[in-house]
Amino acid sequence: MERRVGGRGGRSWRPRESGGGSRPAPTSSSSSASYGDRWRPSSSRASHSASKSGGDLREDLEGSTKVRLAEHVADQDVSSLVGTCPDMCPAKERGQREQFRDLTVFERLNGNPQKTSSALAVKKFCRTMSTTNEQPSDIRPLPVLQKTLRYLLDIVDSSNHPFEVIHDFVLDRTRAIRQDLSIQKIVNNDVILMYEEMVKFHIISDKRLRKNCGKVDISSLLHLNMEQLIKSLTSLYDLYVINQRSSDKNYNEAEYYSFNLILQLGRNRNSISLWLRKMSVSILQSKEMHFARSVLRHLRVGNYRRFLKIVAADSSYLQFCLLEPVRAQALLCINYGGYKLHPYPLSHLSHILIMKEEDLESLCHDCGLKTCKDEAGHLLLPTRQEVSHMPKTLQDFGFLASEN
Amino acid sequence: MGDAHRRVGDFVRLFSDAFYSQEGSSLSPLLSVSSSSTSPFLLSVADGLAAFQDWGRLLKQVDGQLEDILSHLLRAVQSFRAGRFMDAYIAFEKSANAFLQEFRNWESAWALQPLYTIAYEIRVLAEKADWELGSLGKNPEKLKGAGSYLMKVFGALASKGPKRVGALHVTCQLFKIYFKLGTVHLCRSIIRSIETARIFDFEEFPLRDKVTYMYYTGRLEVYNENFLAAEQKLMYALSHCNFRREANIRMILKYLIPVKLSLGILPTEFLIEKYNLVEYTRVVQALKRGDIRLLRGALLEHENRFLKSGVYLVLEKLELQVYQRLMKKIYMLQRLKDPSKAHQVKMEVVVKALKWLEMDVDIDEVECIMAILIYKNLMKGYFAHKSKVVVLSKQDPFPKLNGKPVGA
Repeated sequence: MERRVGGRGGRSWRPRESGGGSRPAPTSSSSSASYGDRWRPSSSRASHSASKSGGDLREDLEGSTKVRLAEHVADQDVSSLVGTCPDMCPAKERGQREQFRDLTVFERLNGNPQKTSSALAVKKFCRTMSTTNEQPSDIRPLPVLQKTLRYLLDIVDSSNHPFEVIHDFVLDRTRAIRQDLSIQKIVNNDVILMYEEMVKFHIISDKRLRKNCGKVDISSLLHLNMEQLIKSLTSLYDLYVINQRSSDKNYNEAEYYSFNLILQLGRNRNSISLWLRKMSVSILQSKEMHFARSVLRHLRVGNYRRFLKIVAADSSYLQFCLLEPVRAQALLCINYGGYKLHPYPLSHLSHILIMKEEDLESLCHDCGLKTCKDEAGHLLLPTRQEVSHMPKTLQDFGFLASEN
Repeated sequence: MGDAHRRVGDFVRLFSDAFYSQEGSSLSPLLSVSSSSTSPFLLSVADGLAAFQDWGRLLKQVDGQLEDILSHLLRAVQSFRAGRFMDAYIAFEKSANAFLQEFRNWESAWALQPLYTIAYEIRVLAEKADWELGSLGKNPEKLKGAGSYLMKVFGALASKGPKRVGALHVTCQLFKIYFKLGTVHLCRSIIRSIETARIFDFEEFPLRDKVTYMYYTGRLEVYNENFLAAEQKLMYALSHCNFRREANIRMILKYLIPVKLSLGILPTEFLIEKYNLVEYTRVVQALKRGDIRLLRGALLEHENRFLKSGVYLVLEKLELQVYQRLMKKIYMLQRLKDPSKAHQVKMEVVVKALKWLEMDVDIDEVECIMAILIYKNLMKGYFAHKSKVVVLSKQDPFPKLNGKPVGA
C-alpha cells in the first residue's frame, strides 16, 4: 500500500520521466494521502504542468546525454526490479480504481463506471513511485508492456471517441509504460522501438489535436503533449547512446534525431549548432537529417515560399506549430515591402501560403492588417500598412526578431 | 636496487622540501605525471618505483596529509609509466583531493602554480583514462569526474583572498572539458559567477587566462548567434593573444571570420592564406560575387568541418547577403545600360540570373526573396506584385551592414 516514499529513488537514466521534477515531493506519509496522490486525475496534473514555462522543455533536450548516461551505468550494478504483473493493469490497482470509480470510458466493462476487467484496465501513471517500495507484482515485464502499448495505439487508430479524450487516456498510460520500463532499467532494441512508437504518437497527436478539436481550448493539451514528446524524445536519445555498442539495432535513429531539429526550429534561442556538433557524421548525412536541415535553412533565411512548398509536399510530421508563424512572417514581409498602390490579391497569397482564403483573411486580421475588396469583390491586402501588433504566435518565435 | 631506492627517495625529499618551503615553481614539475615520458627525472622515478616494490616505506617519515598526496601521486606515476591510464587517473584524483584539502588552509596564493599543474594533469589523465575505458567497452566517465574535481577547485578559489586570481585559469580548464564532453550548458553557472560575483574583478586576472576565457565565451556566443557579443569577445582574444602563436590565432579566426562575415565585414585573401583558413575562401568569394551556387558549394565541400566546429548555420545564413550582392550587381549593370531606369528591376531578370546559376526558382520565390531583403533592410525600395517589378530606392538602395547584424 505504501507506494510513495519521496518518489525519487526510482529514478534511473530517466530522471525527468518520474514526473517529480518541478514539484516537491509531498511530505505527508499517511497511506490515505498517498492514495490521493496516486489516483490524482490527470486533469489536475494538466493544469500544473501547463504552467511550466516553455523554456524548461528546451533544457531537457539540450541536457547532456553523457552525463545521464554515466548515472545510468553507475546504476546498473544495483539489482533492478523485474516485474511480474501479467496484465496491463495490476490486480490491486484494478480493485482500488473500481472502488474509487476511477475508470476512464475505455476501461469500463459494459459501460459500468465501477466495473472493469484485465482486458480493459491499463495501469495509470504514478507521479510518486520509488523502486524501494515497488512490488514486482505491480510492475509489468517487457512483453506485457509491448502488448499494452499495442493495445493503446490500436485505440488511437480505431476509437470513435473524440480525439482529446483518447489523447488524454493514451498520454497518461504511455507515460506509465515508460515508468515501468525505466524502473526495470531495460535497454534494448525492443524498448527503443517502443519509445519510437510513443514519440510518433505524440507527434501525430500534435497534428490531430490541432485539426480535430476546433471548439475545445487546446493550448494546454498541446503543451502537455509537447512536454511528453520532448521527454520521450530525450529518453529515446539516451537509449540510442546506451545501446550504441549493441549489435541489435533495428531502428531509425536518423529519423528521430531529425525530429529534434524540426522541433527546435521555432525556438531560435536554442543553440542548434551545439546540438548538431554532437551528431555523428552518419546521422548528419542521412536523408532525414538532410531534409530537416533544408527545412531549417529556409526557415532561418526567411524563405517562406520554399519552406511552405516543402512542408506541403512532404506531409510527414512537419506541420508542427511552425506553419502559422511562418505565414505570419510572410504577411509582415509582404506588407512591409509591397507597393502601396497595388494591394496584394489574397487569392494569390493564399496559393503561396498554402491556406484557404478565408483563413488567410483572419490571419491578416490577427496580424493587425486590414483587408479590403476591389470592385469585382476580390479580397485584397493593402500593403505598407502600419502594423499595430504582432500575432501572439510570433512572440516566442525567434527568427523574426533581429539577431541581437 | 640501491639506485631505485635513491631515486624515489630523492623525489620524496624534493617534494617535501618544495611543499614545506612553499616553493610553487619547484613543486609544479613534480606533479606533472603526464610529462613522465619526456622528463628524465620523472622517468627515472617511475622506473625506480617499478624496481623498488617496497617504496611505501620511504613515506613513513613524511607526515599525514603529505603522505596522502605523495603516495597516490607516486602510484599515479607508476601506473602512467606502465600504460595503465585508468589506474593513473584514479590515483591522481586522490592525490589531487588531498592537495586541495591542504590548499584550502593556505592563506597565500603560493600554491596556485602547482594547482594549475594539477588542473591540467587531471584533465589530460582523464582523457587518456577515458580512451582506455572506451577501448575496453566501458563507460568513459573520468573526464566528467575531472570536471567535478575542477568545480571543487573553483569553489576553493572563489573567495576574497589572493587566491581568487586563479579562478579564471581553472574556469578555462573547465571549458576545455565541457566543450570536449559536449556539455557546454554547464558553463553557464560558472560564467555567471565570473561575470557577476563581487569578489572577481575581470581585469585582475592574468592576461593569458583572460584571452582563453574570451575565446571560449566568444565561441558560445557564436553558437547562440549573438554576433555582436561574439565579435567583442573574439576580438579581445585576438588582440591580446601572443601574436607569435599562429595556431592560437588560427583557432580564434576560425570563429571570428564567420562572425565578421555575418556583420558584413570580409577578410582579406592575405589573412585567409596566412592562417590557412582556406575553407572560407569560396564563402568569401560567393559574398563578393553574389553567387549563391558558390556559397552552397562551399558549404557542401566543408560541410562536416563546419558542422563540427559549429559555424555551419551561421555561414548558411549568409545567403541573404549573397542575394543582396546579386541584386546590387544587376542594378549596377542596368545603370551602365540606362541610368534612368536602373532602379527598376524586373523580377524576371532575377529569375533568369538565378536560373543561370542553376538555382531552381520561380517568380513567386523571387518575390519572396525580395520581400525578405526589404524587410531585413538589406535592400531599400518596394516590389510591385502586379507588374513584377522591384523599385529600388534612389538613395542608398543597398545599405551596408557596417558591423551590425542583419535585420538590426
